[in-house]
Amino acid sequence: MQTDEFSSDHLDVLKELMNIAMGNATASIADLLQAFGTMHIPHLTITDMDGLKKYIDEALKYDEKYYVTKQLFGGIIGGEFIFVMTDESAANLGNYLYDVSQPNDADIMDAVIELTNILSSTIISRLTEELKTKVQFFAPSTEIISGNHLIGDEDTLNYHKIIIVSTVMEFQSHKISGQIFILARDETIIRLRELIDQKLEELYA
Amino acid sequence: MKILVVDDSKLARLTLIKTLKEYEPSAEVYEAENGAIAVELFKSENPRVVFLDLTMPVMDGYEALKLIMQIDPHAQVVVVSADIQTHAQEQVLALGAKLMVPKPINSEKMVGILQQLVF
Repeated sequence: MQTDEFSSDHLDVLKELMNIAMGNATASIADLLQAFGTMHIPHLTITDMDGLKKYIDEALKYDEKYYVTKQLFGGIIGGEFIFVMTDESAANLGNYLYDVSQPNDADIMDAVIELTNILSSTIISRLTEELKTKVQFFAPSTEIISGNHLIGDEDTLNYHKIIIVSTVMEFQSHKISGQIFILARDETIIRLRELIDQKLEELYA
Repeated sequence: MKILVVDDSKLARLTLIKTLKEYEPSAEVYEAENGAIAVELFKSENPRVVFLDLTMPVMDGYEALKLIMQIDPHAQVVVVSADIQTHAQEQVLALGAKLMVPKPINSEKMVGILQQLVF
């Protein structure tokens, strides 16, 4: 029987795997920024679209502008990786990486996309390695939007039940931080549960 | 020596070129922002080494690698990607890439890459 119910064991395994994956990603970004960074412990929630909207409302300021980069991934597990940076953080990133005091909008956008690509590819590919599966990545895209527009109506059609994995990445010396949201599609929740079961079986064998 | 750097991110290209120039200051570098442009530049410039990203719009790195290897089966292609999945590595090596290196490229990784290529 296929079920999307996650036990506390499933959530615990997924949280630990995300911790490992995010540790890898932090190391890659630290390499890029040549600075010490921290990634907060990921918070995992299973919810629906209303729950997601509520979650986003609490995580982001309603009227603040954000650089939002989305990258889709697909395969046995599929979903969307979203990286959100404030205007200020994005400008600091562009400033640091391009080594100029006033980076232009295109440079900032480019820097944010590249950072997101490294983050999402490292996190998701490490997760899939741990779960012995594979995914394909699609090219990311960035837009500048206010916090209340992070989730548009078109997304509502794609997600009924969602796993939200959220965390904060901080590079305090460069005043760069961002929030990560990973949204997994309905069928992915079932696949993830099966893959975690396999992992647990291997662990207990 | 001609080098082709392929990545849709300008930042990624700049970072790689800056690191490369520390060790190969005389390198003649060509840039492409997607696989389709890369294949055309490969045909016209015949570079010694190609640094190739995988996730790009228009034409991705897998397709570009396939076409480049058809043009020159001895091409030296180094895939540079944050996708660290074993299957991605197996796929690009099967397609003919010499190496696959995780992003971002730093000096240490560049030394390792250059030592493994034939000039």
